[in-house]
Amino acid sequence: MKELSPRERFTRAIRREPVDRVPVMYRMKAEAKAKLARIYGIDDAGTGRKHNPELELRLGNDAIIYQIGINADFSHRHIEIGETWHNHFGVGYGKSGLEGRTAEEEVAFAKTQEFWGPAKIVPENFPNFHPIKSEEDLANYTWPDPADPVMLAPIKELCDKFQDDYFIIVDLSSTLIEAAYAHIVGTQNFFLMTFDKPDLINKVLDGLIEYYTELGKNVIAMGVDMIRVGDDVGAQQGMMISPDQWRELAKPRFDYMFKEFRKANSDLYIKLHSCGDYSPIIPDMVELGVDLSGLMQPVGGNKDQVGIKRKYGNDLALIGGFDVQNLLPRGQVEAVRNGVLETMKNLATGGGYIFSPSHYILADVPIQNIYTLIEAQREFGTYGKYPLN
Amino acid sequence: MSEPVLEIPEGWEERAVDGWEWATLWEAVEEGDHGYSHERVQEAIDAGIDPRVILDDGLFPGFNLQGDRFSEQIIFIPEMLITARAMKAGLALIRPLLAANDEKPLGTFVMGTVLGDMHDIGQSIVTIMLENAGFNVINLGTDVHPDKFIETAAEEKADMIGFSALLSTTVYYQKVTIDEFEKAGHRDKVHILIGGAPTTQEWADECGADGWGRDAMEAVKLARRLITEQRGAWA
Repeated sequence: MKELSPRERFTRAIRREPVDRVPVMYRMKAEAKAKLARIYGIDDAGTGRKHNPELELRLGNDAIIYQIGINADFSHRHIEIGETWHNHFGVGYGKSGLEGRTAEEEVAFAKTQEFWGPAKIVPENFPNFHPIKSEEDLANYTWPDPADPVMLAPIKELCDKFQDDYFIIVDLSSTLIEAAYAHIVGTQNFFLMTFDKPDLINKVLDGLIEYYTELGKNVIAMGVDMIRVGDDVGAQQGMMISPDQWRELAKPRFDYMFKEFRKANSDLYIKLHSCGDYSPIIPDMVELGVDLSGLMQPVGGNKDQVGIKRKYGNDLALIGGFDVQNLLPRGQVEAVRNGVLETMKNLATGGGYIFSPSHYILADVPIQNIYTLIEAQREFGTYGKYPLN
Repeated sequence: MSEPVLEIPEGWEERAVDGWEWATLWEAVEEGDHGYSHERVQEAIDAGIDPRVILDDGLFPGFNLQGDRFSEQIIFIPEMLITARAMKAGLALIRPLLAANDEKPLGTFVMGTVLGDMHDIGQSIVTIMLENAGFNVINLGTDVHPDKFIETAAEEKADMIGFSALLSTTVYYQKVTIDEFEKAGHRDKVHILIGGAPTTQEWADECGADGWGRDAMEAVKLARRLITEQRGAWA
C-alpha cells in the first residue's frame, strides 16, 4: 500500500479500513516530555492547554490531541508546595511533598532503582478542595463559560496549522463521573452521596453534561475531527461502580451528549476513554456509537486483549494496551521490545487499532525504553511485514 | 466464581436472649442502612446481649457477605462503603463495652499513602474494613513522610503498618519507608503490608514487605493471619 498521510492513516484506522502501518499516539506528562524534548533540541515542551505538538509529531504521532477538560491545567502546571491553586471550576489543587528531599533520602531512593530501573520521581498535583458538598454549595455554584475564548482560540490555531496533514482531537476529560468524584464533589463523598443525596449527584452530573455538551459543540464548530471524552470508572481489578450504576448515571447523559455532537457534525468521531478495567461496559459504548475506545492497564482486571479484540473489534476501533505500570518504566530493553511485538500481534492484527502506551508516559520512564518503544513500534507496526502479514 | 451467601452463625439463638432475631440487622448491614444498624445494636445492648456476641452474630454476617461480593465484583465501591458505614454505626456503640470487658483490639495498624502520593480512596476502604475486623487503625492520610510512619508506629506501639501507593512513580517510597524502619531499628517490631494499583507480590518481595493485598478483603485476611505471628516488642 502507498504511504498514507498521518491524517488518512488515523482516520482509516478508526473506520477499521486498511492502512499502510499502525497509526501511533504518544502522550507525555510535563516532566517526561521536558526530558525527551531536551534530547530532540526542542525548547517549548508545553503540555496540557499549553500543548506544543512538535515533539510528539517528531516521535511519529499521526494525530494531535489538545486537552481542555477539567484535567487540562492542574496536572500540567507548576504548583508550589503548600500552595492551593483554584481552576475555573473552583476546584483547589495542591502538591505532594516530594521536593526538598534530604541527601539521605536521595540515597535511599537511589537504592530502589535497582528494582524499578533508572527514574526520576516528581511531585504530583492533586485536588484538595471540592466546591460542591451540599445543595447550598450547588445553589451558589457557577459553572464555567463554555464559550471561553481562552479555551477555544488555540484549537482554531491548531486546526489552521496542522489539519491538512494530521488528525485533530480535542480532549474534554475528565467529563462526567470522574469530574464529579475526583474534582467537584470528592471521591468518598461522591460514592456515599449516590445513596444519600441522589438528587444532588444528579444535578451535579446534569451541570457537567450541560457545560461539556456546549463546550464540545463550540469545539466542533472549529472543525476538529474527534472529541475525546475521558471518564475514569475503572480500577485496577475491575470497575469502581457497578455497570448498572454506570448505565443509570452516565450512559443516558453520554447518549444525549453524543447525539448533540453528531447533530453539530454528523462526521464527527467520538472516543470514550476510561482508565482501569471497564470491559463490562464496552457493549454499552458500542450502543452509544463510540468510534474509538482505549484498552487500558493490561496487567490488571481483564487482560484478554485478543478476546476483547475478537468480541468488539468489528464494532469499534481500539487504542492503547501497552503496559505503562511495570513494563515501560522498569522493563529491560528486550522486554519492552517484546511487549510491543505482543501488543501488535494481539491488537493490530486485522486493523482498527492505534498503537499507544496505555496512558501518559510519566517521568519515571527511562529514555532508552522510550527509544526502544518507538523503534519496536516502527519495526512491528507495518502491515504486510512481520507480525502483521 | 461462586455466589457468596449469608453465613448464619451456628447456634446464635443460644447466645442471644429469648425471642431475639438478627435477620433484620444482617440485612441492614448488607444494604447499608446505618440508621437501623445503630438502632438495632442499641436494642441488643439494652436487651443485655453480650457485646462480643452482637459483633460476631449481629454485625459480621452482613459485612462478610458484602466483603465477599466486593472481592467477586458483584458489588462495587459505593455499596461496600455504605455497608462499612452501617457496620461502623453499630460498632461505635459496642467498642467502649468491649474495652470495658477488657477485650483488646486485634492489633494496632498504622495506615497511610506514601510520600508523594495523594491517592486516598483505596487505603480509606482498607482502613474501614480493618477497623470493622477489630483492628485499632491510625490513618495518617496521604503523602506521608517515612519519619511520620516511624514516629507514629513507635508512639502507638504498632503491630502492623500499611503503605499504599498508586503511581509507578511513588511505589519506590514503599521500599524507602521500609528501609527507614530498618535503619531506625524497628523493622522487626512490625508487620509491613503494601498495596496499590501498580504493586504486585513480586514487588512486595523485592521491597521487603511482609505481605501484599490484591484488594481490600485480601488485605484484611492477610492482616488477620499475620497478626497471630509474634514480632519483636516495642521498648
